[in-house]
Amino acid sequence: MADAAAHEHDHHDPGFFTRWFMSTNHKDIGILYLFTSGIVGFVAVAFTVYMRMELKDPGVQFMCEEGARLFADGTCAPNGHIWNVLVTAHGILMMFFVVIPALFGGFGNYFMPLHIGAPDMAFPRMNNLSYWLYVAGSSLAVASVLSPGGNGQLGSGVGWVLYPPLSTAEQGFSMDLAIFAVHLSGASSILGSINMITTFLNMRAPGMTLFKVPLFAWSIFVTAWLILLSLPVLAGAITMLLTDRNFGTTFFQPSGGGDPILYQHILWFFGHPEVYIIILPGFGIISHVIATFARKPVFGYLPMVWALIAIGALGFVVWAHHMYTVGMSLTQQTYFMLATMVIAVPTGVKIFSWIATMWGGSIEFKTPMLYAFGFLFLFTVGGVTGIVLSQAGIDRAYHDTYYVVAHFHYVMSLGAVFCIFAGMYYWLGKMCGRQYPEKLGQIQFWTMFIGANLTFFPQHFLGRQGMPRRYIDYPEAFAYWNEWSSWGAFLAFASFLLFIGIVFYTIRAGKPITENNYWNEHADTLEWTLPTPPPAHTFETLPKREDWDKQPSH
Amino acid sequence: MPYEWTKSADKTSLSLWPHQSMTPEGFVWFIGATALLVSLPLLAVLGSPVVWVLLLFIALAIWGVWRAIMANRTARQIEEQLTLTGQSVVLSHQPPNGPALVWKANPSWVTVHLRPKGPVENYLTLRGGGREVELGAFLTPEERQGLYDDLKSRIR
Repeated sequence: MADAAAHEHDHHDPGFFTRWFMSTNHKDIGILYLFTSGIVGFVAVAFTVYMRMELKDPGVQFMCEEGARLFADGTCAPNGHIWNVLVTAHGILMMFFVVIPALFGGFGNYFMPLHIGAPDMAFPRMNNLSYWLYVAGSSLAVASVLSPGGNGQLGSGVGWVLYPPLSTAEQGFSMDLAIFAVHLSGASSILGSINMITTFLNMRAPGMTLFKVPLFAWSIFVTAWLILLSLPVLAGAITMLLTDRNFGTTFFQPSGGGDPILYQHILWFFGHPEVYIIILPGFGIISHVIATFARKPVFGYLPMVWALIAIGALGFVVWAHHMYTVGMSLTQQTYFMLATMVIAVPTGVKIFSWIATMWGGSIEFKTPMLYAFGFLFLFTVGGVTGIVLSQAGIDRAYHDTYYVVAHFHYVMSLGAVFCIFAGMYYWLGKMCGRQYPEKLGQIQFWTMFIGANLTFFPQHFLGRQGMPRRYIDYPEAFAYWNEWSSWGAFLAFASFLLFIGIVFYTIRAGKPITENNYWNEHADTLEWTLPTPPPAHTFETLPKREDWDKQPSH
Repeated sequence: MPYEWTKSADKTSLSLWPHQSMTPEGFVWFIGATALLVSLPLLAVLGSPVVWVLLLFIALAIWGVWRAIMANRTARQIEEQLTLTGQSVVLSHQPPNGPALVWKANPSWVTVHLRPKGPVENYLTLRGGGREVELGAFLTPEERQGLYDDLKSRIR
């Protein structure tokens, strides 16, 4: 029977191994996700720095047939395979193993249950499984770069989209490892999303109806839903690639009656929602950051929620705008063009609501707010070039040029990654109990802001000049802006190193925080009612309504 | 309010259950919308063998989320039933699976206790029949406070 447990004290602290390797605690798993994605992110960023070194000057200096090198020494026969492998690995790592695990796995795991007043995730052990599947997937992805692949060299260079026939013709087993890596990441994300969905739907605190849930928790739910809807499709697609490669099936081989275009359709049916999977949790974070530092409740809570849902739903019906050039009928292109432009409406609702939140507020430029501003401005730039690219006719000219590269890095690198930075600075104190040094944080922001813009803004010019993407070399005519872009990338990399330094400094020697809510009363979600850092177990008893139900507009 | 008093001529009973934020209708809406949206890509691949492979993975995903939500719902289907008659106090605790746990005592000797700082805030227990048992550990602190006042007036 439920005998009274008033006198039991059987809580004891787990050892290091038990805590971090067998963890079933949502907060610990969140931290593990953040650290792991940081490490994988460093690898993926290092690849781009090497790529920008190569692109800094026309000609090939570093990626040579004689071997890859860090210092140019005159003789070098261009080795396009190394370049292709790096492009592919950067894409796969960033799309599957860095941004989603950081925003959805890291912040989602740590803060979504707190926001809804749940004691933990619905299935804590499955949560642990998700994390380790992710680690296994990342290792396979890195292993794929270092194992025998196409052109008699290491790694496979087919692009992160893994289009057949390139991906089915690539030699070696590097390609198979990459496919397995994506499989594991998919399994991890699907299990994680099922966990998040169950938690969100059935474990909200009493009285917290769907339209009283904080925006971050909402964004995590919509993201989880998108993952559940789109990743099984990707898993199916790459499984067929695998059987085409190894077992002689011809799903995507014209020789046996298959169709490579079909692969593109299902890849992008996953790929477009993927973009929103990456950015939506960021939207949630930004809402809280802006409300906190403008000292006003979020403007238009309900439209904000519906915009999240609408963006999620629309994300499923626009996929073919990534493939205008494959030979679709005019009617199909017209539809995808119009549907794509419609997404600007809910996105606009969010952008204007954020601006309206700040309007007349008392704005404080702490680092998280700077990142939120940066995000707002740059994501809008990326959105505007998105509208340009959505025009099927214009896309004929811009397809596979640097204009596209600039566009999606503005929404993802400067959009989603800025959200990660905003979230880190906003919550780092809550997670580790020590505050980051504000001055250094601001320096880190400005160097990152300038560096990232310097990297990607000139790429619009390069695209308009007609420079195609995914090439190791270019004619003299493109040299000027490529040089600028490379310097920008180096500055952004330096800023990233500074960020790593700030995080470790804060964890070891930052100023200790004693108060529960170290920002202000407009940081009004449940994590701010907990001690800093929160104890291992929170909300084992249901939260009080007045702790979370603060906005009369709800 | 996840607890309820019912009164008849010879006995008073109280049932308590944990809060579940999703309604059965909500579940239907969720699975329906999921199935609808996830079947969209099938439109693009109809008539090709690709459709069968996709269908397999899609079915697996829907089955997974269905099972997970159901497992969570059943795991939270605890019901506690307290029956007061002139001669006895009976508390039964029905876990999601397995037999009910039952405690019986003489109402004249039963005392009600509330520990503001117990294992959970406002921890509510009944003492009697040689044991101390908990009641409504899954309720909110305010609900346990209300319940404590109710019990105080009914059990003396």
